[in-house]
Amino acid sequence: MGKQSPLNLNKTEYRVHTKKQLLFSWLLLLLCTLISVVIGEFSFDKNLMIPAALFMVFLKGQQISDIFMELKNAPKNWRFLLLYYVFILPAVIAAIYLF
Amino acid sequence: MQTQPSFISPEALKEEVIVIKDSAQTKPLLKKFKDKKLPGDLAMWFFILAELTAFAAFFIGFAVAEQLNVDMFITGKAKLHPIAGLINTVALITSSLFVALALRAFHLKKQREVAWLLIIAQLIAVIYLVVKVWEYQFLFAAGIDIETNTFFTLYFLITAFHFMHVLLGMVILMLMTIKAYKGRYLNKSASGFESGACYWHMVDLLWIILFPLIYVI
Repeated sequence: MGKQSPLNLNKTEYRVHTKKQLLFSWLLLLLCTLISVVIGEFSFDKNLMIPAALFMVFLKGQQISDIFMELKNAPKNWRFLLLYYVFILPAVIAAIYLF
Repeated sequence: MQTQPSFISPEALKEEVIVIKDSAQTKPLLKKFKDKKLPGDLAMWFFILAELTAFAAFFIGFAVAEQLNVDMFITGKAKLHPIAGLINTVALITSSLFVALALRAFHLKKQREVAWLLIIAQLIAVIYLVVKVWEYQFLFAAGIDIETNTFFTLYFLITAFHFMHVLLGMVILMLMTIKAYKGRYLNKSASGFESGACYWHMVDLLWIILFPLIYVI
């Protein structure tokens, strides 16, 4: 008999992320927040600032849905539904501001 | 020893082909679905999608209104505290981290650890509530309210709607904490716990779109 995983998950359950992965994701989220604040404070070019700040939104949304919500190991239609949301909504907002 | 039949009827041959074809198609499909499971209850995910759609309408409405009243929105945003927005972002992200850690502890069947991690998540979420209330009081003291202009109407509507979601999320986390502390999740399905955790992450997800839209851009 093979060694059992400490998580004791069978094949029908998804795998949860490790503590290290969750902490890395949290640090990435903090870094993206900081970058978007710095961009907002010091960027004078609206055409550069808005897409950059909204790209940070996409990165943060991807981390929250894939890592925190554990959708990375969910059926791909559900995963992509959330990923489309965090991509399309900021893209629409950017289009409203820029065009 | 069993001998192979010397004659196989066309029907049997056909059946054999179908069986092989079936197994070749269904095996990868079964493997694909066995490895992937949606965390939480399906009904909760439909609720989350409905909430995300409602907020998307708010965000797009805010962006359109800003384009129609550029000067008013620039003046309005200048009256907000970006630091308060930043503190709230850090608070919600950190709270979400503790809920994600609690879900991991849940799968490790560490019920007490789950309860403590959820308590920490709620304490951090209280920072968000305090800062938001302080921000509202600061604006009210400056004579600004929901009727001041279009910017503040949208600001109060969107942030108060989000605030109510945070409150609901905290009630859900509190119930999860009590259940975990009493060990009522032991040997139970993870679906209810995952649903609550996903709701909390949705609240966080909405804030990370709201924050740059209202405070940064």
